Amino acid sequence: MELADRAVGLLLSVISLSIFTYYTFWIIILPFVDSDHFVHKYFLPQEYAIFIPVYAGVALICFLSIFIGYVMLKSKKKKA
Amino acid sequence: MKHIVKIMALLVALSAVWISLLQTSVLPKSCTWLLPLYFIVSLGCYGLLMVGVGLMQFPTCPHEAILLQQDVVEAKEFLKGKGVDVGAN
Repeated sequence: MELADRAVGLLLSVISLSIFTYYTFWIIILPFVDSDHFVHKYFLPQEYAIFIPVYAGVALICFLSIFIGYVMLKSKKKKA
Repeated sequence: MKHIVKIMALLVALSAVWISLLQTSVLPKSCTWLLPLYFIVSLGCYGLLMVGVGLMQFPTCPHEAILLQQDVVEAKEFLKGKGVDVGAN
């Protein structure tokens, strides 16, 4: 049981650390690198660095509001 | 009320720092525009990291788990003796 918990915890930490380093590289380090360095191959164009977090944030807010609305409707239907 | 005022003051201070960074051009402008977004993403990452670390370090107390199961069995037998049937096995 605790091994499954530890595996999930490790997976979460690894995912968060990798997202953080990738995003740091993308936004902070890449503008200072010459544009014909090979490392630019591994990163999408910089517009995506703005587009992807904003899109994820909007999707999260939409999902949360849908969930809250659904729960409120269900509780109101049960009471009536 | 005071708590909201504190949070608003913090937000105003942060935006003042950001606008002053924009005006004085210490860093290149394209970098400064992306800075708030970067901090929000890194805050989310930090929260995820704390959740993962907490999951990994969660203490399970196996000894107490066994004692708890014994308590549950004891309580069930006691209640059955008194005539209440709790058997949800």
